[in-house]
Amino acid sequence: MENIEEYIESGILELYVLGQLSPEEKLQVEEMAAKHTAVRAEITEIEQAMEFYAAAHAVEPAALLEQKINGTLVTNLADDRIFTNGHTRTEEIFEDDELVTDNVVQMNAKSSGFYKYAFAACLALLLVSIYALVNLYNKLQESNTQLTAMQLDKQKIANQVILKDNELDIYRDPSYKVFKLKGTTKSPEALLTLAWSADKQRVVLDMKSMKLPEHDKQHQYQLWAIVGGKPVDLGVFDKPGEADTAGVKEMKSVANAEMFAVTVEPMGGSVNPTLTEMVVAGATK
Amino acid sequence: MSKKRKISLTEDELVSALRNREKIAVEALYDMYSASLFGVISRIIPDTTAAEDVLQETFVKIWNSFSGYSSEKGRLFTWMVNIARNLAIDKVRSKDFKNQAKNHELENNVTFIDEQRNTVYKPELLGIKELVSTLKPDQKSILDLVYFKGYTHVEAAEELGVPLGTIKTRLRMAILQLRKHFN
Repeated sequence: MENIEEYIESGILELYVLGQLSPEEKLQVEEMAAKHTAVRAEITEIEQAMEFYAAAHAVEPAALLEQKINGTLVTNLADDRIFTNGHTRTEEIFEDDELVTDNVVQMNAKSSGFYKYAFAACLALLLVSIYALVNLYNKLQESNTQLTAMQLDKQKIANQVILKDNELDIYRDPSYKVFKLKGTTKSPEALLTLAWSADKQRVVLDMKSMKLPEHDKQHQYQLWAIVGGKPVDLGVFDKPGEADTAGVKEMKSVANAEMFAVTVEPMGGSVNPTLTEMVVAGATK
Repeated sequence: MSKKRKISLTEDELVSALRNREKIAVEALYDMYSASLFGVISRIIPDTTAAEDVLQETFVKIWNSFSGYSSEKGRLFTWMVNIARNLAIDKVRSKDFKNQAKNHELENNVTFIDEQRNTVYKPELLGIKELVSTLKPDQKSILDLVYFKGYTHVEAAEELGVPLGTIKTRLRMAILQLRKHFN
């Protein structure tokens, strides 16, 4: 116990309160205070005495200063919530008790550095984004073009399938009879395939296998049916062009026919067939 | 000009409000301690504007470094007054402050300030005049050198031309004298 009294008497506690000790000496005093309540109590009494001494020497600062300082601290409070890093930094500086330069200035310097890097990062990100966007846009355009082309193709194929189905239906239907109209003496090589359904009164020409002599642009082929010895007009037709995909052509309807024949007539057809211009003919029986 | 009622909290209340960074802590801190801290600062720095700057810096530092304070190590005011004193000494010793022509001799500050300013007399406390009569002149001069002028006790020993041990004894005697009167 004598040691403690001696320690207290030495005056080191007064120096501690007055902030006169080195960090190591401070730590020793704090250890002693934690161990011995007498040391702790002595320190508190010294502190209180110095606090009263300071209060007795108090000088009221200018009234305007209060708002200025409180304003600064409240602003700081807002800053703290945003820049927690800045806050811990000042703590570290303070920890080793070396009272250095102003905190506010340091925080500002730190935060402006933060903004600089943040701005640079944003700019870099923006450039990368723009580049990626342009790339993506080009690819999208390309894809769209391909898609349109594919849709056109698909439509073309679908149309062809419908046409082929129609053609197939003709061959499947048992009421259709197929005739091959042979060339006349005028054009022995000519040939035309024709399907006729007496029940449905339909006449269909096979355009693909058609082999008829050439004619000029002022003329067309005209199909005739011979009904009761008299020619009946079944419509005109042309040689199919390169782009023509239709494999068959339906003509006017007829219920009874003894014979079918094709003549070359002026554009639009004639009322009566020009028998000298007959290219193919064939009887139905 | 009538001033608003001052906020006064117990030390524990203030410490916990400061720790929770409550707005009321800012006002209470100022109301309770600005005059005492300014008394110390303005005895080290006679220039009012510079002293006010340091007071502001002190509050900012208290606010920002508050997590560094621990009530186990001592009273709040002891911690704060050491911050104030160190900032004030830094300011007085800084280059730009020394360059100011209006620099006063440190020696004369204490009495100079007391003559110039209206110090706040609190009824429950002793006035400065009574304190002067309470303390012996050699006790008061050593206490003021260390507490109000930022001398280290080693510097004070050189200044007064007495051994370091004597300085320690006188400081202890001076503070014991104060304790007798205040407690």
